[in-house]
Amino acid sequence: MTALGTRGRLYGKNVLEGTFRAAPDDDLFLGELLVAIDEATGRRYLFRVVDVTYGHEHREPGWAERVAGTLLSDDASDTPGAHPLYEQERRTYRVADCRCLGYLTPDGKVFRKPKSLPTQFSRVVSPEATDLAFLERSMGDLHVGVLRTGETTVDVPVGISGDSLAKHVGVFATTGMGKSNLMMVLAGAAMQAGGRYGLLIVDPHGEYRTELARHPWAERRLRTYSSVTAPGTSALRVSLGEMTSDDLRTATGDTSRAQTEALFELERVYGNEFKGISWLLPFSQLDDLVGFREAEMSRSVALSTLQVLQRRARRICALDAISADGDVSVASAVERDLAEGKVVLIDASGLGSTEELLIASFLTRRILEAWQQAFLDDRDRHAGMPTVAIVLEEAQRVLSKAADTDGNVFPRVAREGRKFKVGLVAVTQQPKLVDPELLSQFNTFFILGLADERDRNILRSSAKQDLSSLNTEIQTLMPGECLLAGVDAPFAVPASIHLWSDALRSATAPPEPRPTAAANVAAMLD
Amino acid sequence: MPLGAAPLDDVADRLAAILGPSGNVTVADGDDGDLIIDGDLVPRPLTVASAPAPEVWAIDGGQALVRDARCLQIYVVRAGRCCFVDRVATVEEEGDLRAHLVGTGQRGIELARVDGGLRLPANTAIDINLLRERVEWDGIERTLQQASTGALVLVDGDLRPDPRLPLEWVTELLADATARGISVVGVTKHTSLSRGGAPLIGQLEREADAALGARTRWWAPVGRSAAERGVPFTVVAARLDPDAAYSFRLDVAAGIDPEVAIAQVACVSDDAAFPGYPYPLTVADRLAACPPWLREDAWMTIEEHLRLAGVPGDVLHRAFDDRHRSMERAS
Repeated sequence: MTALGTRGRLYGKNVLEGTFRAAPDDDLFLGELLVAIDEATGRRYLFRVVDVTYGHEHREPGWAERVAGTLLSDDASDTPGAHPLYEQERRTYRVADCRCLGYLTPDGKVFRKPKSLPTQFSRVVSPEATDLAFLERSMGDLHVGVLRTGETTVDVPVGISGDSLAKHVGVFATTGMGKSNLMMVLAGAAMQAGGRYGLLIVDPHGEYRTELARHPWAERRLRTYSSVTAPGTSALRVSLGEMTSDDLRTATGDTSRAQTEALFELERVYGNEFKGISWLLPFSQLDDLVGFREAEMSRSVALSTLQVLQRRARRICALDAISADGDVSVASAVERDLAEGKVVLIDASGLGSTEELLIASFLTRRILEAWQQAFLDDRDRHAGMPTVAIVLEEAQRVLSKAADTDGNVFPRVAREGRKFKVGLVAVTQQPKLVDPELLSQFNTFFILGLADERDRNILRSSAKQDLSSLNTEIQTLMPGECLLAGVDAPFAVPASIHLWSDALRSATAPPEPRPTAAANVAAMLD
Repeated sequence: MPLGAAPLDDVADRLAAILGPSGNVTVADGDDGDLIIDGDLVPRPLTVASAPAPEVWAIDGGQALVRDARCLQIYVVRAGRCCFVDRVATVEEEGDLRAHLVGTGQRGIELARVDGGLRLPANTAIDINLLRERVEWDGIERTLQQASTGALVLVDGDLRPDPRLPLEWVTELLADATARGISVVGVTKHTSLSRGGAPLIGQLEREADAALGARTRWWAPVGRSAAERGVPFTVVAARLDPDAAYSFRLDVAAGIDPEVAIAQVACVSDDAAFPGYPYPLTVADRLAACPPWLREDAWMTIEEHLRLAGVPGDVLHRAFDDRHRSMERAS
């Protein structure tokens, strides 16, 4: 870098791309944000480095290979340094390929998409705080990290608008890249949002319960329902009578065609006598399955299929979280908590995948219907209700093309939820397994490291920002680093997600509750 | 008269006779050479100097044909110069770009422009070789005036100037330099020196490999210039780096110990990109080069003047169009 702070000089490419030359020792990083100063127009063009390569002044082919060969030969003959490269700083350089993200108008107030070329050979510098201040306007009120430029961070908060939860959020990362940390930080931000947003987090591994409870706002804004007995939690209980066959089918999405047919047959047999899927209880208690099949079912259902379904029914009915009694359900409480703008954690750590999805499907349906009803009945009341989102881990289980059936509530939320202020936060390691049509409904992507090229490809084609040149950057993301692509941001924003421990430390404590007025004062006020 | 046959295999046979083992050991300096070959031509180890000369200067000439009307040519020439101290460039000059119009009726004017007090004969033929050599030796003269005692001054090519330049002028330049403790060395990358009709340097390389080993610095005395007929200098062949791809002819100004001088040259011939070739000379070459854009830039300047002078465009086109390029061969 020069005394002027020059990192390079822009020399090539087009409106959307730029190439600049930098000194051979300039430590350029993928994803680094840089500014080209167009002295002629006063505009400041923001660029993102998407690749860095070597360059040299010598025209003859093979020059660099030859130099490397000489140096290697010196190493081999144990005489390193025998052949110095004279004036390396002038003969060699680095070339940075960049994506033009847009430009700041000369007054520094408006950021526009790139539609013109900066003057050739414009000076390239590191951004100043004022160059990135515009981003703060589009980073919403749920902050999860800070802007990252290459390997360093800039003190510009990065996040999403809580309202965008209704337009669905995807969180994509392979194991260990920081999904859980991101979800906790997002939940913490929602808790501090003054009740404007509700989050329903279905946690299959029980990893959030103790951590979220540490948040200063947890007492007021977090409600945990757990399938296991744990301090500070309410018992998770839902009723078979509340749940529908669609919930059951969604939860048992991996069933064979024969099992699906058998389920329909069972509904036919029991349907009129039982609410919801409470018929699972008598079915699970049947001793004479052979006789039941002979008497009630068509012969098209194999006995072995019935036996499989009965085993599943027994497992579901045996769970403490599942009750045949409709009065013990937590569904209303969950609905109320969310309506109050709380974060509701469903700790499903004691449940299997089917049971977890069964409960998630039921609660999601319940919430969607409640918010939909409010929208239809009373628009004003609906407008005052918080935006809610259902956070679902391993979301590909219910959002794949195969799972996209009429009865599955999750695709319905993806397609219709935004109108009713109900969104999905789909967390998955394998976005390639999600139905592309459903993925296109997601307006916000948090992309953490993804090793599989097919996963990256599907995101590139579905994201609301152009990610075409960011393949290498996504590939090289470190844990805790992400790209935030959404309709609110002017480009895919590189971010460093707060560590949960840091988020806890920096979270402001809720204000003390107002002291209750003495009875005589209250009476006077009344 | 009809031509006789000239088949390729006949040429190959003759070439094999020249390049293969032969009893002919006559050493010569090309067809127009004036060297006295009195060196023993025996490669011997070369010890590189422990440190480079306090100043290492390099001069090279560059040229370009801007436009060619066959009876008239427009040339540009310049001499690039650089100076290295402790392996760092302290002087870099591309040299003033000098334009010349060569051709019918132009000799008198051009002669006056290149004379510069040399008192060149009025019948001196003007061509691009003279123009380039003149600007090169002008660069050498300015360098020698600037160089400090102990400096090494490297010249691209041999130290034999174009015969149209006054020998006494060049001789005096080199003698003054030697007297001031400045070593002037010319480095010729591809020389016409021969033995038995075959390239001498290649033969010496093979002999040195056999006698001293493959990765050895060496030098061999070759001869000297005929002082009575030209500028006095000593000629040696040398391989300046163990990893050098080629060996070179080096001309060392008279009065300088050639072994000491080439040991100093070897000291700046260790660049990783060009092992065995003095790095300052590669810089001078870059500075002096006249790339196509420079040629076009020069033409645009001239063209603008012609336009202002009222010369019609079609006259220019008729004069200078490149007919070979525009009338491409049928493929």
